[in-house]
Amino acid sequence: MENSTERKFLGFKLPPKTVWTKRAKSDLRTGLLFLSPWLIGFFAFTLYPMVVSFYYSFTIYHSKRAPEWVGFQNYTELFADDKFWLSLNNTLYMVAIAVPLGLFASFLCALLLNLKVRGQAFYRVVYFLPSIVPTVAGTILFLWLLNPQVGLVNTVLGIFGIDGPNWMADPNWSKPALILLGMWGMGGTIIIYLSGLQDVPQSLIEAAELDGANWFQRLWHITIPMVSPITLFNLITGMIGMFQYFAQAYVVGGGDSLGRPLNSTLFYSVYLYQNAFLYLKMGYASAMAWILFIIILILTLLLLKVSDRFTYYSG
Amino acid sequence: MMNPASPLTSNRSRQPEHDPRRDRTAHKIRSLFISTLSHGLIIFVGMFFAVPFLWMLLTSFKSDKDVFHTPPRWLPHDAVRVEINGEEYPIYNVKTEDGVKQYAALKIESGVAYFVDPAYPDVVIPTKLQQGTERVAELVEEVSFRWQNFPDAMNRGSRPGVGASFWVYFRNSLVIAFFMIVGTLVSNTPVAYAFARLKFPGRDVLFVIILATMMLPFQVTMIPVYLLFNDTLGWGDTFLPLIVPAFFANAWDVFLLRQFFRTIPEEMCDAARVDGASEWQIFTQIVLPLSTPVLATITVFTFLYAWNDFTGPLLFLNSPRNFTMALGLQDFQGQNIIIWNQLMAAATVFTLPIIIAFFFAQKTFIQGIKLTGSKE
Repeated sequence: MENSTERKFLGFKLPPKTVWTKRAKSDLRTGLLFLSPWLIGFFAFTLYPMVVSFYYSFTIYHSKRAPEWVGFQNYTELFADDKFWLSLNNTLYMVAIAVPLGLFASFLCALLLNLKVRGQAFYRVVYFLPSIVPTVAGTILFLWLLNPQVGLVNTVLGIFGIDGPNWMADPNWSKPALILLGMWGMGGTIIIYLSGLQDVPQSLIEAAELDGANWFQRLWHITIPMVSPITLFNLITGMIGMFQYFAQAYVVGGGDSLGRPLNSTLFYSVYLYQNAFLYLKMGYASAMAWILFIIILILTLLLLKVSDRFTYYSG
Repeated sequence: MMNPASPLTSNRSRQPEHDPRRDRTAHKIRSLFISTLSHGLIIFVGMFFAVPFLWMLLTSFKSDKDVFHTPPRWLPHDAVRVEINGEEYPIYNVKTEDGVKQYAALKIESGVAYFVDPAYPDVVIPTKLQQGTERVAELVEEVSFRWQNFPDAMNRGSRPGVGASFWVYFRNSLVIAFFMIVGTLVSNTPVAYAFARLKFPGRDVLFVIILATMMLPFQVTMIPVYLLFNDTLGWGDTFLPLIVPAFFANAWDVFLLRQFFRTIPEEMCDAARVDGASEWQIFTQIVLPLSTPVLATITVFTFLYAWNDFTGPLLFLNSPRNFTMALGLQDFQGQNIIIWNQLMAAATVFTLPIIIAFFFAQKTFIQGIKLTGSKE
């Protein structure tokens, strides 16, 4: 096959134009048969719902009654909805603070666990285990730990003479409390960084040592660039995940008072859920979902674009 | 080779007249210092991970009273009890004119305790607990792990009286996880095989599409999928909406499996092709048997996902007898009066299967995280 026939679409290389021989047709049939579970699922649970929810986003749809076309009304209403902006703000707070903080802390923990010390395997298990504790169990545990009166955390703070905050009961502290909860379960990211650290070629580090680079210089000029693809990947998945932050906030809200205290934990997905399943404003919620999708799409592409300059790919 | 002008040149080579023995001691002290510092840091940060976990375990063994003891204590304490006439009563250290005596409290009513000396259970000594500024009786406690919290928690539901206990939730979670694992394994493997090994027109475009679905937030499809299952198909309050989609493959597992299938030597498949094997035969008889490690990874991760999932059950399951552990625990926590020790006991039972799975399949866990986490 010649390069001159190479075609491109959105930057992706396309295969050369298919010549429909008998062989190609039978290959296609086999291929589609193997793909059929996904193809059916894709149409039934992705493509069709996408189209439908896009349509709903332009309608007023209260579950039982048929959807009624209203054009851009949901969108204009959303942009005038204080709670929409509040929930977006709450979510952006988490995306801007919790995600980078979590990555930074994970990287530091990975550096610690990469130190050659006795009991290394044991320590790794200790750091990792909380990440597999089910979300609901972990959230309830933190509600208990951060209980203002009898919680362990405020008791320990009290020993040092610090008057601990009301955590999940204080609108200023509920999000930091959730960030702590998130960091408790960052074992997965630590493991990923750890495997990245182990992939940094020892020869590079030794060469830098010979050239007189100190520990911090080696870290800054070798290790961090070498793990930058991992950082980018985790930044993007972390960001996407944070926009959909739901279960923890739902548990903190206790179900019937979502967003408490004072809507400080009313995150985007929580408000969306509330609109869809409590207020039964399915059209309004669909519009929210599509705005969410567009935000995620733009931020992902932006991150990919910006990161080009900061990410190092070996090989 | 060391460059003598380099700033990194060690003290030793710069000062060759130095006593080598003293140097070795200095080196030993230095490495001891570094190792101690490393251990110290690792343990200090490790407390952040370990202590909440331990606190969950310890709370689940505490008595109702001990949970609210101020200040909180690490180990569970319970009152020391003594049996009198077939009933158990708590022991108090009571200040009497003859010094401190250990009496059993038959009952305590409006500040007056009715004590008896366990040796003479017929002589009741009514005592005012607060005499002036002094408290005359202190409960005698001992370290005691209250295992009873576990059956107590499991036998009740999130709302006692509706006939659904945490055992039911536990079973529901297991049933859902089992079918999701079956569905995930059955549906993702052929799809991944097609993307890894088959050549057919349109494959690469489809692969880009499947990868792109990873970026699609679940909320975009949530409402139509909910209406489809709940209203159109009438599957509301059943496990079907949670189980059925697992049988239709998903981007993450397809990607993971594809990465693994591509490491299987192509020559093996080609040899079979020459012998006239069909793609289906190659897939089931050569590729799958070689893929047990990645199938184990998928199994473990699907279990983890199913066990952990909260949003799915929240959307589709309404009646307590259909609750999963995640849903039941949330419901339990949402009650007005929170019974922390039992809640922590239920949370421990909820976490236990995953911890057990982890210790049995540690390598599989770590491998899976690395595979999903560091996309090439």
